[in-house]
Amino acid sequence: MYIAIMIIAALLLIPILIYNSLVGRKNQVLNVFGTIDALLKKRYDLIPNLVATVKGYMRHERTLLAEVTEMRAKAISDRTSDDEKVELDNKVTKILSRIMLAVENYPDLKAGENFMHLQRTLTELEEQISAARRAYNAAVTDYNNAVEMFPTNVVASIMNYKRRKFFEISEKERESVDAGKSFSA
Amino acid sequence: MKTLDDLRRFYNTALSADLNALEAKRKAIMQKLTYIGVAIAILVIITLLFVLQQVGSFFPATLFPLIGAIVLFAFIANLLSKGYVREFKNTIIQKIVKFIDENLNYVPHRCISKSVFMASEIFKTRPNRYKGDDYVSGKVGATQTEFSELHAEYESGSGKNRSRRTVFKGLFFIADFNKHFTCKAIVLPDTAEKLFGSFGKMFQSWNVLRGRLIKLEDPEFEKFFVVYGDDQIQARYILSTSLMARIVDFKKKTSRPIYLSFVGSRVFVAVSYTKNLFEPRLFRTILHFELVREYFEDLQLAIGIVDDLNLNTRIWTKQ
Repeated sequence: MYIAIMIIAALLLIPILIYNSLVGRKNQVLNVFGTIDALLKKRYDLIPNLVATVKGYMRHERTLLAEVTEMRAKAISDRTSDDEKVELDNKVTKILSRIMLAVENYPDLKAGENFMHLQRTLTELEEQISAARRAYNAAVTDYNNAVEMFPTNVVASIMNYKRRKFFEISEKERESVDAGKSFSA
Repeated sequence: MKTLDDLRRFYNTALSADLNALEAKRKAIMQKLTYIGVAIAILVIITLLFVLQQVGSFFPATLFPLIGAIVLFAFIANLLSKGYVREFKNTIIQKIVKFIDENLNYVPHRCISKSVFMASEIFKTRPNRYKGDDYVSGKVGATQTEFSELHAEYESGSGKNRSRRTVFKGLFFIADFNKHFTCKAIVLPDTAEKLFGSFGKMFQSWNVLRGRLIKLEDPEFEKFFVVYGDDQIQARYILSTSLMARIVDFKKKTSRPIYLSFVGSRVFVAVSYTKNLFEPRLFRTILHFELVREYFEDLQLAIGIVDDLNLNTRIWTKQ
């Protein structure tokens, strides 16, 4: 009698535990995504500071600086869609690396205290963003494992949880920064 | 970086005079010990003959004088060699340390404090027997470092049930890390995955004593180590892909169990050794280049951690 009750209780408990673990993993994915968003915003906040610091020196790169300021305005505005924001973020990453590369031409600027502090902050931020992206991929792997492996996939299909995508670099981004292009801007 | 050839030259010029002086002292001690040893042996034989006469059988009565003799001999050897060991460390080891890097300070009788050892959070058991020596500190490039030999044990029970367990024995190294961070991350040798394969990961995630399990991407790193931390993103910020590769290379270089932790913007590295480091030989000659080479390589391994983990690259906000 008691054994039967215990077996039934165990059978009821297992789906509950699976359900909770699936919800937990989904939320972890969203959590990390939110952190990436926050870090990207921090990077956008650095841009006006960066432009102000280099503007006086880098007279030949005016178009680059104007471009990055415009991108920033678009990225923080409410009117751009999420997909556009992702694309903008990729573009901003590229432009920032071009600007940093162009600074090599201006030794006075490069050695300046303001710029050096900015450079360190930017490098640190990029490293944090990279860490967040790795954490996102780990969270997505965990979530996808639960959605696709047995026996959790049974509960997942009932809850209608689908596989999620990783953070991938698009083909265009994989081409390394062309130093020639940077200096001609 | 000093090479072996530099060391050989250093050995022939700066060290040989001191080594010869110490060798003379060692021989004097060995002579004394031989006399004492013979005296004790004679005493033991007389006692054994006496006991045999009285009791008639070999066991267990004969064991006590034998054990007593060995213990007494060891105690006397230790007492006589104290001055010799101290002088050896203050001359030879001190010189080797300065030879490797002028900026380093060597204090033979000091060691990393127990509170710092516990603050690293690598070892959860608080040892009740704690000792160490050969403390070195100083700045290597831009990185403040310190390390020493440690022997931490936990003794439990009393009387007959007393058992002693080694918490950690080996080299304990602390350095300023090159990034600012507020969370904690602990890197331990991965035993569960070796034994249980992929199920090992499941068991590891159940370990409630240690924060959250952090699963990292480098497969070789994951094979050797298991990582616990309190923040998924911060742990990956600390353990960048290049740092993970460097830790694996260091592990292969030492081929010993190593433990790391990142706490309070510092990195702690514990390398397990079974031998005692930087101790001079008593019963055999010390006039071998190979011995000096061993001291040099052990020191070089510890100091080299700064370069191995690339701690002098200061491109982030910490300088």
